Amino acid sequence: MTTTLITSTEPSRPGRQGGARRPDARPNVALRDALSIAGVWLLLSVPTTIVRPDFLSTQTLLAITFTMSISGVLAVAQALVVISGGLLDLSLPVALVLSAWAAVAALTSGLPTWAAVILGILAGAAWGSLNGLIVVFGKLNPIIVTLATGFGGLAVMLIFFKSAQIPSTSDLRLFGLGRFLGLPNVFWPMVALIVLTGLALTYTRWGRHLVAVGGNPRAARARGISLRRTRFFVFLGAGAIAGAAGVLFSAVNPSFTPASGAGFQLIVIAAVILAGISLSGGKGNLLVLLLSVGFLATIPASIAFFGLAPAWALVFQGALLILAVGIDGYRLKRSAR
Amino acid sequence: MTAATLLDERTPTRRRRALDALKGPVGSIGFMLVATIIVGLVWVGPAFLAPSNIQIVGVSVAVPLIVAIMASFALLAGVVDLSIGSMVGFGAVIFNQLVAAGMDPWIVAGITIVVGVVVGLTNALVIVKFGAEPLAVTLGMLTVLRGLSQVIVVNAPPSTLIDPLYNVTQGAVAGIPVLLLIGIGVTLVAAGIVSKTRVGRNVQAVGGDARAAARAGISVTRVRVVALVVSAVGAAIGGILYVGQLGSASNVLGTGLEFQIYAALMIGGYSITRGGVGNPIGGLLGLLVVAGITNILNIQFFDPDYLDLIVAVILLAAVLVDRFRGGDVFE
Repeated sequence: MTTTLITSTEPSRPGRQGGARRPDARPNVALRDALSIAGVWLLLSVPTTIVRPDFLSTQTLLAITFTMSISGVLAVAQALVVISGGLLDLSLPVALVLSAWAAVAALTSGLPTWAAVILGILAGAAWGSLNGLIVVFGKLNPIIVTLATGFGGLAVMLIFFKSAQIPSTSDLRLFGLGRFLGLPNVFWPMVALIVLTGLALTYTRWGRHLVAVGGNPRAARARGISLRRTRFFVFLGAGAIAGAAGVLFSAVNPSFTPASGAGFQLIVIAAVILAGISLSGGKGNLLVLLLSVGFLATIPASIAFFGLAPAWALVFQGALLILAVGIDGYRLKRSAR
Repeated sequence: MTAATLLDERTPTRRRRALDALKGPVGSIGFMLVATIIVGLVWVGPAFLAPSNIQIVGVSVAVPLIVAIMASFALLAGVVDLSIGSMVGFGAVIFNQLVAAGMDPWIVAGITIVVGVVVGLTNALVIVKFGAEPLAVTLGMLTVLRGLSQVIVVNAPPSTLIDPLYNVTQGAVAGIPVLLLIGIGVTLVAAGIVSKTRVGRNVQAVGGDARAAARAGISVTRVRVVALVVSAVGAAIGGILYVGQLGSASNVLGTGLEFQIYAALMIGGYSITRGGVGNPIGGLLGLLVVAGITNILNIQFFDPDYLDLIVAVILLAAVLVDRFRGGDVFE
């Protein structure tokens, strides 16, 4: 440990130093991450195209961008939690389904579309603030808190509803079916959110505080940033963004069950970690995140073209997550030396 | 806050000591167990403690107990293995499918255990060698194994009946289920290893403070690798035993089992956020609490979803209590 006094007094989180010591190296790191994701993306697409030349088609592009839309929005929520040093929010799938249910319930009871959208996002924010309150006031590890709230929240939803259907003639549903510039409508809010959040992280005071807290909480506190308030609002914000994902989810899925969100868990965490957003917090580039979301959305399409069972997608995504956290851990270990 | 604690330390009243005892691991396990039994007696009536009902609880707790005790070594060594639930399911699926395909059950059991070893070694490689976050790695493994189970079992799984296994899982000696006896035996052996042997002390040392353990000449790598392998093998054995109990293995078997097991272990005095604390006997009592709650809900015809909700609340409460006892503080 060849670092300063401040960081070496925190033995439980080694590797924190990596981000704090070399902030100027970040653009190159982002470029390297982007290039390596583009590389593995090619590794996946080229063999698929050789085996099945019809892989390169508008149909595939539509399928991939469709898959990207919701996992991309959720990935932004997860990325904010990870960058702020909040480790992971494992209850995002619950926030997603809760918000989707809230939006659908609002539409079914005759509320206008804008009210349903706002209610959906508010439901996500409320869920996020529950997590935030427990993490901040209990001073507990967010992974375990959200593991428990996610597990409990799913149980509560299963008690209250078995499945939900969006009214098939509602504006929200029609939006979910439509296309803009040849791509699904729901794709564009995702791209806008990633770009705006990425800019906000770099150029707003709020964003810089969030990154500072993730990079070195002690230094951030010494500069007068309230850790509690930042942590609370990060979880609230992540919940609200997951709420937006839930609204989009309700627009594209004619019906869903409380467990429908579970499939996003892994793909979202894998996307975040593959994008070089380290679990130790304080660094991350959201444009690289867009790339990794796209790469992960290509896996199920590729598997379908190879004629494999859809369950193989789980196997590949899980294996990728193991690989990604392995590489992340290895990099931290090396930079901590 | 500091002034208050100082004052309290100067005047160790009887009330204060009672509170401290309740805050300790033994106190909270005893409290939870007594509370569960009282709730059972009030709500269900005397039938809750009838021999037949105790037997039902004993049979339902036996397999999770074996899995939990083996997984507790990983917790003790300071690494969490979330993949045990999926490993139970995957082990059961492999065992069931290969036996149904006509292979010798003994050879298949060996294969299943080897698969457990491979899974444990894979977890260990990424966690110990590359220094990756155990929760994230084993979450990935959880998904891989669940995916493989779904790839292997697409439709209704075949049924198998293996006589020697059936005798173990359904038999009873003097009214006590054989499986429960095995579970208690495993618990006692594990408790002996943890509290009486050098191996146990080494595991506790590694979990308590890895750097201090390394300075004391203990191989942190080896302890953690072995602990993760033991955890995965325990889950594989649990899968085999489930096939004996259920006569088949679906592709969702073991889903969420890890939550119940870790909630039970946390009640029993283990910690997810730090290693080095906990004892297998406490784990057994913790599992009895969860099994007791399950039993009460079953008798009262409650939706099993309520159990998940209660387990989640217990898990959160247990982590909070653990922090008051000196667990990691997250800020």
